[in-house]
Amino acid sequence: MARHYRSDLYKAQARAGYLFVLPSFLLYAVFVLAPVVVTIILSFAYYDISFGFFWVGLENYQRFFSEPRALTIFGNTLRFAFLAVTFNVAVGLILALALNRAMPAPLLYFFRLAFFLPVIIAAAFVSVVWSYFYSFDFGVINYYLSTLGLPRIPWLSSSQFAMTSIIIMDVWKNTGFFMIILIAALQGVPRPILDAARMDGASPWRTFSRITLPYISPVLFFCVVFASIGALQVFESIVILTGGGPGDATRSLSIYLVDEAFSGFELGYAASVSVIMMVLILIITIIQLVGSRRLVTH
Amino acid sequence: MEKKSSLVWIDRGIVAVLVLMGIMMLLPFMWLFSMSFRPAAEAYRMPPSFLPPTLDLANYQAVLDSSVPFLRIYWNSLVVAVLSTIGQLITCTLAAFAYARLRFPGRDGLFFVMLFGLMFPAQVTILPIYLGYAQVGLLNNPLGLVLMGLTSSFGIFMLRQFMRSQPKELEEAALMDGAGYWKIFWRISLPQLKPALSALAIITFTGAWNAYFQPRALIESQDAMTLPLAMDLLRGYLGQGNISIVMAAMSMAILPVVLLFLVAQKMVIQGVTFSGIRG
Repeated sequence: MARHYRSDLYKAQARAGYLFVLPSFLLYAVFVLAPVVVTIILSFAYYDISFGFFWVGLENYQRFFSEPRALTIFGNTLRFAFLAVTFNVAVGLILALALNRAMPAPLLYFFRLAFFLPVIIAAAFVSVVWSYFYSFDFGVINYYLSTLGLPRIPWLSSSQFAMTSIIIMDVWKNTGFFMIILIAALQGVPRPILDAARMDGASPWRTFSRITLPYISPVLFFCVVFASIGALQVFESIVILTGGGPGDATRSLSIYLVDEAFSGFELGYAASVSVIMMVLILIITIIQLVGSRRLVTH
Repeated sequence: MEKKSSLVWIDRGIVAVLVLMGIMMLLPFMWLFSMSFRPAAEAYRMPPSFLPPTLDLANYQAVLDSSVPFLRIYWNSLVVAVLSTIGQLITCTLAAFAYARLRFPGRDGLFFVMLFGLMFPAQVTILPIYLGYAQVGLLNNPLGLVLMGLTSSFGIFMLRQFMRSQPKELEEAALMDGAGYWKIFWRISLPQLKPALSALAIITFTGAWNAYFQPRALIESQDAMTLPLAMDLLRGYLGQGNISIVMAAMSMAILPVVLLFLVAQKMVIQGVTFSGIRG
């Protein structure tokens, strides 16, 4: 009797469980799982809405890794990611160290506002604003440079400066995110240890490198991984500031993917570009899993 | 003693430098806001303004009178952001309740598969979604954006973690009293989830409001656009000779997120840093 009752309860619970999970899992299957599988299949095929579907094996990947243009764009993306990640995290850390102090509430509100507002406003919006800042003839930055007697800089129109300009804006936009995370990490460093080090006459640099840095290194590591995943997908800031130009000087993988798919109608090839991006991100995620385990045991 | 007072001065110096940097961080926003009030004829006059010269709303009127259907686009953005938010609140809480509180065969397997979703960037799913939408007529339709935003692995993960940190005695007691699972979910679990739900709502709303990659791939017609797409368009249409009007449109476009941030600063920061969803 009691057993009966329990198994009924169990059945009811299972039924409720499946019902509650159903809506989200169905949506997930349709909008994530199935598309990922289809993308992988497409990447081994030539697909055209009018000509149909043909298997081409590894041809799309071979094309990607033998086409100089694709390799330039691959290199651009890695270069952007490397520099944007380095500066975002480094500037975020410096700001966090400077801000990690007791201060009156209004000042704290102001700092949070100033450094975090760019983080939450769409890149598509602020990039339009920055495109006016960077404009050669009418730009705010060049106006101030010329009033100082300095030459105007072709921020977006020269391949020498374009990538740097995009990275500057990216750091302005995202560094506040890392600053906030690193402030939280700094506040986790035990006070007594820091005080003891100061009593012993350790210099601020020594305290930082021997105590603070090891304490926050797992968080710092997380920031680097996280920033890399975001930076590898960079899209709208470049689309709006330079459109990928001049030439291909600032074109990223995401832009290339969209161009190939929706202007060139090379869907199979575009799919191989997305799989390459996915693999890059996967590698970074695995590095994170392995690395964070190692850091935690230290 | 002397050393101590010099330390205080260094401290003050650092704070002063930070305040200056803070103001510089805000300059692009001050510029766009003040430019939106500058008479259109003087849009390119230098030096630029960082404080509104007048409070004349002519440029705002000009945006609404322009050939770009700005109000329609604004409405689209609101529909996409609000419906995605409501959708995620419903689907994610239901799933989180089941994954955290109920026992059923395959539960952990399903949850694990769901977690995979955290790894796939939009770039990996967009082509099949485009092809599928082309088949069913959802291209150039804001509802297409809503549909694909109705649930998220992250939302489920976050709510499940939160729910697991809450005591479950109340729910067990209710079950003993013979309450149904729906009632337990609605009356007991949901109220406990409130802080996590507002965080999820903020993240989802700003995420949808700011999205650019998917709309760019799925939408071409002006009538179906969302604001991030439209800003680029407006720059082309109105930008020749007139930054002021573009910046009036921009002020209106960033308004909801700015207001949200001013009112609920702490919650926005917590939500966004936890999820890592950025503009």
